[in-house]
Amino acid sequence: MAKSAEHAEAAKQQQNPARSKEARKGIMIYAKPYRKAFAGVFFCTLIAVFADLLQPYLVKIVIDDHLMKGRTEFRPLLLIGVLYLLLSILALLFSYLQNNLIQRTGQGIVASLRKDLFRHISRLSPSLFDRTSSGSLVTHVSSDTETVSQFFTQVLMSLMRDGMTLLLIIVLMFQLDPVLASYSMVLLPVIGIIAFSFRSYMRKTYQLSRSRLSRLIAFTAENLSGMNLVQAFHQEKEQERQFAEKNETYFEANLREIRTNVLFNRSFDLLGNLSVAFIAWLGGRAVLGESLEFGILYAFITYIRQFFQPINAITQQWNTLQSASVSMDRIWGLLSTKPDLPDEGKASFPVLNGGGSPKVSGAIDFRNVTFGYGDGEPVIKALSLSIRPGERIGIVGTTGAGKSSLISLLCRFYDVRKGSVRIDGIDVRELPLATLSRTVGLVQQEPYLFSGSIIDNIRLFDTRFSREQAMEACRFVGADALIRRLPDGYDTMLSEKGSGLSTGERQLLSFARIVLYQPAILVLDEATANLDSSTEQLVQRALDAVAAGRTTLVIAHRISTVMDADRIIVMRSGIIAEQGSHEELVRQRGYYEQLFRHSQGRPEERGAG
Amino acid sequence: MKLRLLTPYLASRGWLYTASLLLIAAGNIIQSYYPHILGEFIDRLKNDDIAMPDIRMYALMLVAIAVCYGSMAGLGQYLIMRLGRGFERLMRKRLFRHFTRLSESYYAKHGVGQMLSYVMNDVTSVREAISVCLNQTANAVILLLSAFVMMAASGLPWGLIVPCVSPLLLIPFLVVYFGPRIRKRSRIVQNALARMTESAEEQFGGMRVTQKFAAEDVMAERFGGTVDRIRESQLGLVRMSSFFQALLPFLGALSLVVTIAYGGYQALSGAITIGMFVSLTLYVRLMINPLQQIGNVINTMQRSRASLERLQELLSIIPDISDAEQSVPLSGSGIELRGLSFNYPGSPMEALHDIQLSVKPGMTAGIIGRTGSGKTTIAKLLLRIYEAPPRTIRIGETDIRELGLGSLRENIAYVPQDGFLFSTTMRDNIAFSRRNAEQREVEDASRQAGIYESIQQFSEGFQTRLGERGVTLSGGQRQRTSLARGLIKDAPILILDDSVSAVDAVTETAIIRNIQQLRQNKTTLIIAHRISALKHADVIFVMDEGRIVQQGTHESLLAEKGIYAELFALQQGGTSHGQIG
Repeated sequence: MAKSAEHAEAAKQQQNPARSKEARKGIMIYAKPYRKAFAGVFFCTLIAVFADLLQPYLVKIVIDDHLMKGRTEFRPLLLIGVLYLLLSILALLFSYLQNNLIQRTGQGIVASLRKDLFRHISRLSPSLFDRTSSGSLVTHVSSDTETVSQFFTQVLMSLMRDGMTLLLIIVLMFQLDPVLASYSMVLLPVIGIIAFSFRSYMRKTYQLSRSRLSRLIAFTAENLSGMNLVQAFHQEKEQERQFAEKNETYFEANLREIRTNVLFNRSFDLLGNLSVAFIAWLGGRAVLGESLEFGILYAFITYIRQFFQPINAITQQWNTLQSASVSMDRIWGLLSTKPDLPDEGKASFPVLNGGGSPKVSGAIDFRNVTFGYGDGEPVIKALSLSIRPGERIGIVGTTGAGKSSLISLLCRFYDVRKGSVRIDGIDVRELPLATLSRTVGLVQQEPYLFSGSIIDNIRLFDTRFSREQAMEACRFVGADALIRRLPDGYDTMLSEKGSGLSTGERQLLSFARIVLYQPAILVLDEATANLDSSTEQLVQRALDAVAAGRTTLVIAHRISTVMDADRIIVMRSGIIAEQGSHEELVRQRGYYEQLFRHSQGRPEERGAG
Repeated sequence: MKLRLLTPYLASRGWLYTASLLLIAAGNIIQSYYPHILGEFIDRLKNDDIAMPDIRMYALMLVAIAVCYGSMAGLGQYLIMRLGRGFERLMRKRLFRHFTRLSESYYAKHGVGQMLSYVMNDVTSVREAISVCLNQTANAVILLLSAFVMMAASGLPWGLIVPCVSPLLLIPFLVVYFGPRIRKRSRIVQNALARMTESAEEQFGGMRVTQKFAAEDVMAERFGGTVDRIRESQLGLVRMSSFFQALLPFLGALSLVVTIAYGGYQALSGAITIGMFVSLTLYVRLMINPLQQIGNVINTMQRSRASLERLQELLSIIPDISDAEQSVPLSGSGIELRGLSFNYPGSPMEALHDIQLSVKPGMTAGIIGRTGSGKTTIAKLLLRIYEAPPRTIRIGETDIRELGLGSLRENIAYVPQDGFLFSTTMRDNIAFSRRNAEQREVEDASRQAGIYESIQQFSEGFQTRLGERGVTLSGGQRQRTSLARGLIKDAPILILDDSVSAVDAVTETAIIRNIQQLRQNKTTLIIAHRISALKHADVIFVMDEGRIVQQGTHESLLAEKGIYAELFALQQGGTSHGQIG
């Protein structure tokens, strides 16, 4: 069972080549603005590599032209020494420059990639956040982009520097002795064969250990978040056992990876040393036969040893390349996800009564709406509902009756399958998303606060709203006194989970947010469900203040939350089963009345009708 | 007192470690013959004192060296890397075990991300020190030593060797100078990265809010700030580290300059042979790499040392709640709280004040009160998630602090409000405390918790997976699944902590009736803020600001004037019609 899942995952990671190519192309677009920088890096590398490689050549001159010839002047020798020094200073300077330049480029690319990724994610439809955990999105933005940056700063750099070194070595070797050099070229196909035969095996090993590691991490992360449960149920031993199992399989994958890598690197090493022996044998015979100068043999031997350094360096980058291409695929996969709900034909947006949201009257029309998630059964079936501006609507029903789906359609988290949802007579699909978002304000069960000051949380870091305005909003919902009690008042820093504030207090802040943004339509989706009755009382009063003069939709599974609405909609399996005021519905003695009795704790009483 | 992690591990695998180091050493010593043989070969070649068969012999010797070195160093490397991975495995296991022992007071202070970074980053960084660093150090030191020995052995005068090598000797000083500075800058980079990750986490978590208020641009700008900070700190790091890295080969080149000038001079004057000159240049070249490696190793080591220290610190934390020296198994199921006052660690405010509460075995008790009144704190103290002061809580006959943790928690079934579920199957989640439970029992528990129908609707029933690659449950479904998990345990004591708050009224009524039936004559503690969930209890305690302000049955409490009656009025009528201010 676990094994097959593993294979499935491995198969998923076996990237589709066409897609990978597309991904690489897509990411490379980010490198385009840096063409000049890359040219600069290339130039620096060229000089640095040259300065580096000319050094054995100088020694060759010393041996062949001076020592071997038995010359005794010291001056030329000193000159060569100075030349050597100059060359190495050149190498120092340019490799420093090149390093800085490539990092600047790589970091620039990654920074813009990160920003784009973030922007893109923030435009994706909310359904994505239902499907994908924020953890994996974070991984995309932080580690995947980091790996891509490594691609530029390490892989590309190595390809450039080591590739060039290799090329120059080959050129120099041919310069020194074409015959010996052509013999050495036999090495190239051998290297190719070794690299090729290891390639797919290495990729598989690498991916195996990656996927096992991510499973281990996921398991640990989850257990850490649920540790109080593990402890409360005294399941430490069992979870430890499961952890050890995953730990063990990861260890095995590691060993396999090490074996492959060691074998791979050693075979190159061996090949390098063998070829020196080969050259010594070949060259020795040639020197003996007087067809080769001795210094050339020296330089040749040095070069052939150096020959393997860049190759080794490039193969060291193999793993980075692997993970970089996986990361690129993932990033590209995300970047090429189109929002499910595109803004249609940007030029021709209808204008909601002059655009300023206070002027929107707030009439809502659900016209014959059918909707289901994905290809599943419809959860809303041919529903029609028309809401007058300023009306207060309560929506009740059991879990799964379609209450929240109705709201998702109004907020356009999803699009209808059939029918339409209209605000002031305009289909929500024709409204720009930003306008729609600011027209329909939504308060959910879990208030979300960002890390930052209270003021910034109220105005969502948007400095177009003044501090005074934000404070006014807090006074309006009755949060002012509470905020003033905090150590730094409105400048108190909140952490992600709004530490130090109770759920009710956090919910009050989210109401203040709504007041500041002034949406024409207010939707409360179980906004008070997590609050105890007395806190709910406080929040409810704030709510009444906010709701005054606005079209308001209140969703709740507690009757008490909605019973004073102008009209109550009772939903059951995707349709409106009953509607009317509380009194009317109780008098009808239908489903609503039954719900009401349960909430009163009188389920046994049977109605007479 | 520092906990020793690394030394015992290495000591316990001493023979393996020695073997691998020996292999690497032997390999390198053999390898260092390479220039020597080449030099000798060249000398004889130059002096024409060589015949064809000799050339073949030299070539074969070089081959033999290559093969020996390759296989020995390869094996040694494998062993040493395996050793490192073994350490990693052991460490992760210990960490996880340690995590299971730490109490909530630790978890409350440390985020999951922070704890994960021990498992991911610190362990890896120490492993690198073991395998890569030690491997490379061994490599480098041996190579250096043998190069020196060989240089001396090949008759090169020390008077020549020392000046030629002297620039290289600066390398360790450079490393010591640059190392900490580079480390400081790389820490800045790490912090910047961590801040961006945090920011991303937070912003994705709140993406709905951002989108709903169309504040994407402002948020993108905020995030962009953290991204730019990474770039700046990275460039700061690169300026320093790339200078350092370029400086090392430069010193090598400097050495060669001296060698050419001074060695060449000596060769010209006939003090050394050309073969000696050749092998001198080869030796100097040979020394550059290991010296550079040593530099890198020292830097990695410094990073690893910090990680090792972090690990040591974490693992030497003694869990603040553990079994007493002579722990007693739990017997009886009565709960008795006597004068219980409690502060959360580090908080000056009392969460509970002088609580007197007694639940006789087999009774059902309810605790009601608003958020923050201390209800959940009592549940946590009963489970010893936090430790109550001595002699304030008795369960059965025994003070809670003398009970074995295992025995205590096995005998209490706890259903928390948040309904945390693991991303395994529905079945595994429900049968969490009894992994071998029969299917029938799992089904029964899910029926009692009112989740059976929902599970049946999933295409794979009880085998449906939750989490990222599975289905997402609604809040009410999660709560009911979590309830089933508590019920299947069928423990002597059951604690429901606001366990049905997200369930609609009809389902709630049914569930409460099931629980009433199931828990007849079994001690049950129901914590809630809705009266409907606990009005059937034998005794109800009303809490307010950490104190018990009322107690009695539903009927007797209704007859009293007080919070309970007020709550009842609130929850009966529409909240906005409530009379209470």
